[in-house]
Amino acid sequence: MATATDRRTDIGPPNYSRFLPPVIKKNYGQWKYHEILKPGVMVHVAESGDKLFTVRAASPRLVSIKKLRQFADLADKYCGGHLRFTSRNNVEFLLTDPSKIDALIADLKAIGHPVGGLGNSISNIVHTQGWVHCHSAATDASGVVKCVMDDLQEYFTQMKLPGKLRIALACCLNMCGAVHCSDIAILGVHRRPPKVQHDGLNKVCEIPNVVAACPTAAIRPAMVDGKQSVEVLEERCMFCANCFSVCPAMQMADPLNDGVSIWVGGKVSNARHEPMFSKLAVPYLPNTPPRWPEVVQAVRTIVEVWAKGARKYERMGEFIERIGWPRFFKLTGFEFTKQHIDDFRHAGLTYKRSAQLRQS
Amino acid sequence: MADSNGKQTPLLDELEKGPWPSFVKEIKSMAKESPMCQDLLGQLEKSYGEKRGYWKHGGIVGVMGYGGGVIGRYSFLNEEFPHVAHFHTIRINQPSGWFYTSDAIRTLCDIWEKHGSGLTNMHGSTGDIVFLGTQTSELEPIFKELTEKDFDLGGSGSDLRTPSCCVGQSRCEWACYDTMQLCDHLTHHFQDELHRPAFPYKFKIKCAGCPNDCVASVARADMSIIGTWRDNIQIDQAAVKAYADGGMNIERDICGNCPTKCMQWDGKTLTIDNSNCVKCMHCINNMTKALRPGKDRGATILLGAKAPIVDGALLSSVLVPFIKLEPPYEELKDLIERIWEFWGEHGKNRERTGELIQRVGLGNFLEAIGVEPIPEMVAHPRENPFIFYEEYLEEGDEEE
Amino acid sequence: MARTAQEVADAMFELVKEYQGKKKFKAGDLTKAMIEKFGQADCDKQLCKTAIRTLMDSGRCVYTYFGGSFIELPPKEGAEGG
Ligand code: SF4
Ligand code: SF4
Ligand code: SF4
Ligand code: SF4
Repeated sequence: MATATDRRTDIGPPNYSRFLPPVIKKNYGQWKYHEILKPGVMVHVAESGDKLFTVRAASPRLVSIKKLRQFADLADKYCGGHLRFTSRNNVEFLLTDPSKIDALIADLKAIGHPVGGLGNSISNIVHTQGWVHCHSAATDASGVVKCVMDDLQEYFTQMKLPGKLRIALACCLNMCGAVHCSDIAILGVHRRPPKVQHDGLNKVCEIPNVVAACPTAAIRPAMVDGKQSVEVLEERCMFCANCFSVCPAMQMADPLNDGVSIWVGGKVSNARHEPMFSKLAVPYLPNTPPRWPEVVQAVRTIVEVWAKGARKYERMGEFIERIGWPRFFKLTGFEFTKQHIDDFRHAGLTYKRSAQLRQS
Repeated sequence: MADSNGKQTPLLDELEKGPWPSFVKEIKSMAKESPMCQDLLGQLEKSYGEKRGYWKHGGIVGVMGYGGGVIGRYSFLNEEFPHVAHFHTIRINQPSGWFYTSDAIRTLCDIWEKHGSGLTNMHGSTGDIVFLGTQTSELEPIFKELTEKDFDLGGSGSDLRTPSCCVGQSRCEWACYDTMQLCDHLTHHFQDELHRPAFPYKFKIKCAGCPNDCVASVARADMSIIGTWRDNIQIDQAAVKAYADGGMNIERDICGNCPTKCMQWDGKTLTIDNSNCVKCMHCINNMTKALRPGKDRGATILLGAKAPIVDGALLSSVLVPFIKLEPPYEELKDLIERIWEFWGEHGKNRERTGELIQRVGLGNFLEAIGVEPIPEMVAHPRENPFIFYEEYLEEGDEEE
Repeated sequence: MARTAQEVADAMFELVKEYQGKKKFKAGDLTKAMIEKFGQADCDKQLCKTAIRTLMDSGRCVYTYFGGSFIELPPKEGAEGG
């Protein structure tokens, strides 16, 4: 058997400079300004006068090597073989010749990839693995995203919103991709305490680890039918699934109770308002594959309330802060429930602690 | 539509409809040649019918000698769908800024065609290139071929996760330091920490070139490195005028939205009280031709963001208000190591840096890593009067 | 007497073997245990880091993951997971 030391290891990623187009190498750090020319197309102008045109197209994030090779062919055809991906899973083609832009857009459309996502639009939905590939998913990821974007596609391909809108989805509270600071966050939730598989729990998991995993101390060691196992104080469980992450015998998936929650008003950019967390708008919608109509409808409702009422540049959270949460619930028609009121650590900080209320 | 096995996928077929690119089409496009993709479709169709996932985790985590880069994935339905009985994920460290040549893309595709499902994520949430679905026996061959082509695995588990960055100076005029170079530098410098998990839990680093924070570092990274500047915003008054002439309502939309109201527009000249500018980027974002960040550039370092698991979500908070970032980045690397040292010593299993700071208190944490407390680190001083002191005076002690 | 990385790696391996199925060790746990066993003067963190690399490169132990990374004897494929 070869030992690890015979192998090439710890080389790290290839240096990015190998992949940069010549116009970028030449003008690195010397860019002067940029402009959005039309939906999905922008130009960066360098001090030298050189121009770099970027065409941004949507991607489902889950892409086959066949599609990647098509992207590579398009990059060869239009961009001297240069392309990149964005932090929101869009693909970008980097051109120096503006006369090729329209032909590239047409080719992208022909293989099913709309161009857009720049300026005051919805960019791609950042999302996670879901039922395609993850163990702890309370909902699917790619499917829900597909349905929501099918519905909102006009806001990707056009720039008719008051400001930027960033949507993200995570299929469980682990939140790969930390969706908790998005204008709209779609979050898969469990709603039933773990079903403990007492048989063999002791073999696959260390009981002290399982007990320690619970943020609310809902788990304690117990003998069940003569087996060393754990029990869950169900009234303390808030379904975070942390126990399942450390111990697969704590089964969380439950088709009857799993579903989707929707959060609004978070942001990460510092522009105007400081970054903020998203807040709960809808605690629970059922999983209704394959098209999740309730989720699609709720997201559209939020987008439209904001698009209609927001001032220029105003992000979702800034808009809601200005009009107040009572009015947000009134405008959207979402029911305000006990679940909307925080009851975890420092919950009191989220109560309204003044008499400044809009009374009409 | 039936797959080539003759199995029907009526629920998934619904997701081939509509204008947005379809992941189902992507999987189906591979189903003919890949039995893995066929079984993936089968299992996914079942998930859609039963409204639950069928994956279990654990087991294999890396190639030989590595403790990260591979996520072990096994199907509960291994008898019904034997080709996805093992369906591991591989994380491959992306080049800074996610730039590729078509050749590099084809190289990756060729390797993955030979050894796995042919499905990818471009990219995963942390930033890696993700290869979705292969068997244990393929891991070493994939690793060998990847390293021959100068690619290496990314992080997973309790290690330094693959650092990522925005495009920075390669394309963005607002980048206040070279994000791609710093990201590449840190990734190479900390290869051992990335490949051999030795931390209490994961540690993420994200580099954003300016306060727009296009990589969401403030929400997603244990260490958020956000570009900023110390001197005056550069103003081209003629260009400002051109925006006004073009119909922009500078008074209302620019000055009116400035969080500190430090801007004034008298119809001819835009003046900024730079001592009160908090570098929010709003005015610069919307007058790209007229305004630019200052010339004395560097970054703010913030610490501690994380998603809700285990103890609630956190945003990063200020550790260093301003630092110059030039290679070889010694000051920054030294700071990172002091943080890891303390966290490694005192962090509990699955405790992120942010949670450790919450538990021991920012004040104590600062003392431990040798950083002076300053008012930039807090939104406001404490409101509660339960103040800790480590010592007190006895009668007869000398006052200092 | 200062220890070699190989010696420390061997001691780590023995510890993992002894507790297999009873306790899972993280890299940090092994490091602390070795410093305790051999004394700070003869076995520091850096040496433990090298020793862990020696141990893992030898294939005698592997990394595993369950909500955190651990160092264990090589498992049987697919055996874990519920
Ligand atoms: S968010 Fe949860 S379910 Fe979704 S991919 Fe991440 S860990 Fe898995
Ligand atoms: S799901 Fe979370 S709260 Fe419930 S028992 Fe498990 S760890 Fe505790
Ligand atoms: S974070 Fe700032 S510098 Fe980086 S790409 Fe975004 S706007 Fe440009
Ligand atoms: S960057 Fe923000 S704070 Fe500074 S002047 Fe512009 S709008 Fe005001």
